[in-house]
Amino acid sequence: MGMQGDFFQLLKAQGYHFGASGGESHDQQFTTATTILAFKYRDGVLVAGDRRATAGNMVMYDRTDKVLEIDRHSVMAIAGVPATAYEMVRILEHSFKYYRRTQLQELSFEGKLRAVSKLLKDNVAAALAGTGAVAPIFAGYDFEQETAKIYFYDILGAEFEGVEYAVSGSGSPTIRGILHYVNTWGDQLLSAMTEEQSTVQALRLLTSAAEFDSATGGVNREANLYPVIKLITAQGIRTMPEADLKRHFEAGVARSI
Amino acid sequence: MYEEPYKWVEAVGNRRQYLDEQFKQGSPVVALAYEAGIVLLTVSKGTPKLYEIYDRLALGGMGHPADLEKLRFSLLEMAHVEGFNRSPSDVTGSRMVKYGIAPVIKQAFEEVFKAPFIVKILLTELGAKAGKETFLVINYDGTFEEGSHCAVLAATKAVEQDMMKLLRAEPGGRSLEQAVGVALQAWALGDRSQRQALEADTDHGRESQADSASTDLASLSAYVRETVKEKTIECAVLDRTQPGSAKYRALSPDELGRFLPKDVRASLS
Repeated sequence: MGMQGDFFQLLKAQGYHFGASGGESHDQQFTTATTILAFKYRDGVLVAGDRRATAGNMVMYDRTDKVLEIDRHSVMAIAGVPATAYEMVRILEHSFKYYRRTQLQELSFEGKLRAVSKLLKDNVAAALAGTGAVAPIFAGYDFEQETAKIYFYDILGAEFEGVEYAVSGSGSPTIRGILHYVNTWGDQLLSAMTEEQSTVQALRLLTSAAEFDSATGGVNREANLYPVIKLITAQGIRTMPEADLKRHFEAGVARSI
Repeated sequence: MYEEPYKWVEAVGNRRQYLDEQFKQGSPVVALAYEAGIVLLTVSKGTPKLYEIYDRLALGGMGHPADLEKLRFSLLEMAHVEGFNRSPSDVTGSRMVKYGIAPVIKQAFEEVFKAPFIVKILLTELGAKAGKETFLVINYDGTFEEGSHCAVLAATKAVEQDMMKLLRAEPGGRSLEQAVGVALQAWALGDRSQRQALEADTDHGRESQADSASTDLASLSAYVRETVKEKTIECAVLDRTQPGSAKYRALSPDELGRFLPKDVRASLS
């Protein structure tokens, strides 16, 4: 009864198919490309993402939310084909809630990681066909180990822990180098940064990614358009308000560009 | 044996009598609106009776734990599949009851060769705005009623009416603390009436029956103090101000302790 709290199994039993492949690869240009990042700071984990969605050279949308809350303590940042990524997020959101409500306890952090991996594995055919590749970052608070953690995945479902930070998307090569430099030779480790310092750092990183990657959207102050930044701590998830992003950008980023 | 209609009616009548008997020792359940949402309260002997069903739906139950579990799972499956396939806004208490579990309960009740569900269910739904809360009560025969400010489950209609009278007598717009206090009084009134009815049945407590409708605070508080020592006060809220889409929250013993009257708090510790 209750499929042991497995919502994905319940959906499958009702005839739902996830990750069906269209077969061979196509030449069409799908909405894709992005820069997402996560790093540990003093109080937990910061997860950030730019807002641009592109298809080839075309900017499809400039207000995409790529940092999505799955439950009260986990976030998935998405890079890749948005249609598949949003569907994955919806499945995970319902899966974690369904487990909590049926089993009367939270799914463990390890269980959540496994759920992400399983979905990516089910999606391999679509990923290889080029119609559904997703390379997400999953971050959340692990209550067993009393710490916030970061994991990143390849499109086949392989799971890696980002001990200090993780990046994904087309703009990620640029900021991966910066993160390594800052964390190794900067004034302080990323994990020692305050909320304010880490927010400024994230805004600088995404601005740098936008500088070198046309598929990553930068800040547009006139349009009041800023990246999405979420902070995960033992208390839950907090989305950095736009006014604070603006303040931090003016004080710590805009003066240099 | 049941081919003749009057025999079927007789069998259903017997079944009703049997089911009424099963609820006599059950713990009442109370749900009422407060300023930020809905509070649900009951007193249990260990098995939980209050549950989260969906983002804005909560359930309270009375009866056999195995039957309650079966129906709870049906509701959970329906709500989550519907919420995924359509949208969370389409998962309403009214739809879950009318087209979901009420027909199932009715069918089980009327199939006299099979076991009925020994359950009474209270499903509450948090509205998007204050005053838009929905309270649905389903009886063991599948009949259901819909209300908007409060609802209760108890062994008999008469006890439920007394409890509802007490809840309705209190002014609206309560704080959580006030709502927990009133809910506990209503529970005490219901449980005391049920216990006195049981004692009267066994001819031991006829004298105390006259006291059953008394709603004065002192006597209800005294009853709560006496009763809750070996039991657990279970309390949950659907809180509109809670961040995120899921609005259900079970109150921790510490949090609940802050809302309980001092004398009751002392009996618990």
